[in-house]
Amino acid sequence: MFKQKTTEQIKAATRPTDTAAHAFYNNPKYRALIYQILLVTGLLYFFYTIISNTLGNLEAAGIKSGFGFLSNAAGYDVLMSLIPFESTNSYMRVFIVGFLNTILVSALGIFFATILGFIFGVMYFSKNWLIKKLSVIYVETFRNIPLLLQILFWYSAVLASLPGVRDSLSLGEAVFLSIRGLVIPKLIGQGGGSTFVYIVLVLAIIGIFILRSWAKKRQDATGQQFPVFYTSIAMILGLPFVAALLTGFPFVIEYPVLKGFGFNGGITVIPELMALTLSLSIYTGAFIAEAVRAGIQAVPHGQTEAARSIGMKEKKIMSLIVVPQAMRVIVPLLNSEYQSLVKNSTLAAAIAYPDLFNVFVGTALNQTGQAIETIFMAIIVYFAVNMLISFIMNRFNGNVELVGR
Amino acid sequence: MSNTFKSDPIEFKPTAALPAPKSTVGPIAWVRENLFPSISNTLITLFIVFILISLIPGVIDWMFISANWSGTNQEACVSDGACWVFVKAWSQQFFYGSYPTDQLWRVNLSLILLFAVIILSFTLPASFRLRVSIPLFLVLPFVCIAILDGRLVGLDFVNTDLWGGFSLNVLMAAAAIIVAFPFSFLWALGRRSNMPLARSISVIFIEFFRGVPVLALFFMGSVMLPLFFAEGTQVDKLVRVWIVLIFFMSGYMAEVFRGGFQAIPSGQYEAADSVGLSYWQKTLLIILPQVIKVSMPNILATFVMLFKNTVFLLIIGIPEVLQLLLTALSNSNWLGGHAVEGYVFVGVIFWVCCFSMSLLSNKIERDLDTDKRD
Repeated sequence: MFKQKTTEQIKAATRPTDTAAHAFYNNPKYRALIYQILLVTGLLYFFYTIISNTLGNLEAAGIKSGFGFLSNAAGYDVLMSLIPFESTNSYMRVFIVGFLNTILVSALGIFFATILGFIFGVMYFSKNWLIKKLSVIYVETFRNIPLLLQILFWYSAVLASLPGVRDSLSLGEAVFLSIRGLVIPKLIGQGGGSTFVYIVLVLAIIGIFILRSWAKKRQDATGQQFPVFYTSIAMILGLPFVAALLTGFPFVIEYPVLKGFGFNGGITVIPELMALTLSLSIYTGAFIAEAVRAGIQAVPHGQTEAARSIGMKEKKIMSLIVVPQAMRVIVPLLNSEYQSLVKNSTLAAAIAYPDLFNVFVGTALNQTGQAIETIFMAIIVYFAVNMLISFIMNRFNGNVELVGR
Repeated sequence: MSNTFKSDPIEFKPTAALPAPKSTVGPIAWVRENLFPSISNTLITLFIVFILISLIPGVIDWMFISANWSGTNQEACVSDGACWVFVKAWSQQFFYGSYPTDQLWRVNLSLILLFAVIILSFTLPASFRLRVSIPLFLVLPFVCIAILDGRLVGLDFVNTDLWGGFSLNVLMAAAAIIVAFPFSFLWALGRRSNMPLARSISVIFIEFFRGVPVLALFFMGSVMLPLFFAEGTQVDKLVRVWIVLIFFMSGYMAEVFRGGFQAIPSGQYEAADSVGLSYWQKTLLIILPQVIKVSMPNILATFVMLFKNTVFLLIIGIPEVLQLLLTALSNSNWLGGHAVEGYVFVGVIFWVCCFSMSLLSNKIERDLDTDKRD
């Protein structure tokens, strides 16, 4: 592209002539302005075209745009809802039911994926060859198979081959697993006593945070350590238990009872939810395991050796030296994994789990034809949830980040 | 005063090294070191071995030993094992969809062209590699479409409704990422630009397509996109999906490229400026080749993600491989419950493709990572 030239030639060729150098179109400031004006005009024209086309098309199809349809009766039932729902309820109610179901499956997925991911991520560093290989096999298998395939596999190959309701697999006549789902006993509180226990539980959680900050302050001031972890566990389990004892154990455990073709009582986890939670947590768990592995590997080996050389115990090295530094790498990765888990929960549509996308964008859109409104509302929700996750994780990241001096 | 003391120069002969103690080398030591280093580890090892022993023979027996391999219909599946006859009978559907049987060479040709271009882009001499392979890549999707469609090149017309199967997954993913390439590069440049409007527009675009669930994008493609075109315009279903995938991918790839841009030392920009290159000369001749090189592992990872996501097309009714599997499973001649066989088969295909790509990306990453090797 470039021929060999002498320096003089290049200078002569590139030296700006007086007129060209001062022309306004060679001034970078004006140039940027012109480009941006062009860009914005182009974009505005683009949006104008699609909006006018859309309005024309909607008019031709006889669809009235707007959010008025939200107060109409939905006219269909939803397979599972956390709040009471009937087919006469409005589309707005459908939206809320779907939203809660999405939150439920995302929360369950994040919870189990994190546990799985951390277990398998740490297993990679085991001295035991078999455990290490198990971790590699888990990560490489489930990361490389499409999530939708895994969902369908769990739903229609594994859970569909469970026994019928009458021959359910049972665990001590309390937990039943059958083709209709998992049924577990339900804890029902009675009267004011149970409210007292719940209040004590909340107080215990608040107390743990206070204890933590107190213990940290004390350690900073005196160097004395306080067994925060064990005390926390004792508080969160012990205090509500004591409260329950004081109020005479105001709880009844409702065991599921087989009646006819179904179970009475207890909490039923529908197979759709089970399949979705299983596959989301196994799939995302594989990615989290990879993140945890990367995080631990990113801690220089010298850190461990230094800790060992000043005589720290192996457990302390892990919890005070390696993990805090690994978290700096892990937390940003976790953030994006959690967000993709929430986005992936839309795949519920494949197995008819009634999440927001399935009941609202799928069914409501089909019935009302309000494509733009429904999709817009759903997208806003996913954006909001992901921003919330991002906000929480960034706060958490601020805690683990290296403080620059 | 001559030195009378004369002797042969003494040759230094080290005594042969003793063999390492038996307890530190050899298979037994390896087993002791890696499987039974402590009591708790021994228990865990025994537990895992016990589980493996109780699981593996059954799986192998189901998959291979008592599996049914030959036959053409369901009656051939007599033994308890897997019914691979099912997969065999439907394999053409799984790979090619309903594409006419006598025209399958066109699909094969498209796939071969794709792999030829990929191999070329790795094997050509470095001096003109990018200059040849980038135009080839950019032309490829349109050539493949012309071949598969047939009207432009004088072959029989095959409607897009008939395209399908695993080949559609591969070609769709490849066509989307290739066309997304220039777009994503532009978005990444926009995000780094000094012009505030260009930058904010790029940021909004990138974050929108990264933040929205891909399924919502597909719904937008199939429900909203037709509304955007002037009344009466018919846009093919596959083209709409293709457009959606291109936008989706350019959002993700823009972030990959942004990472690549950040990895280029600022000296490269300054050097290009100092020899008087214009913005586009600097970007295309100096920066782009380096960006492509450093972001290759991430490009591959993004491609793997896209490739896995092509399965989502099932939800909007495009006959990709999983959709065809579901059709086959509900076929009245094959109602024997072959779900596990089908899922295992499709899963293994995807696993092999994605795993080999991630191995390749690891290798490229290691090759690039020349300074940190220890």
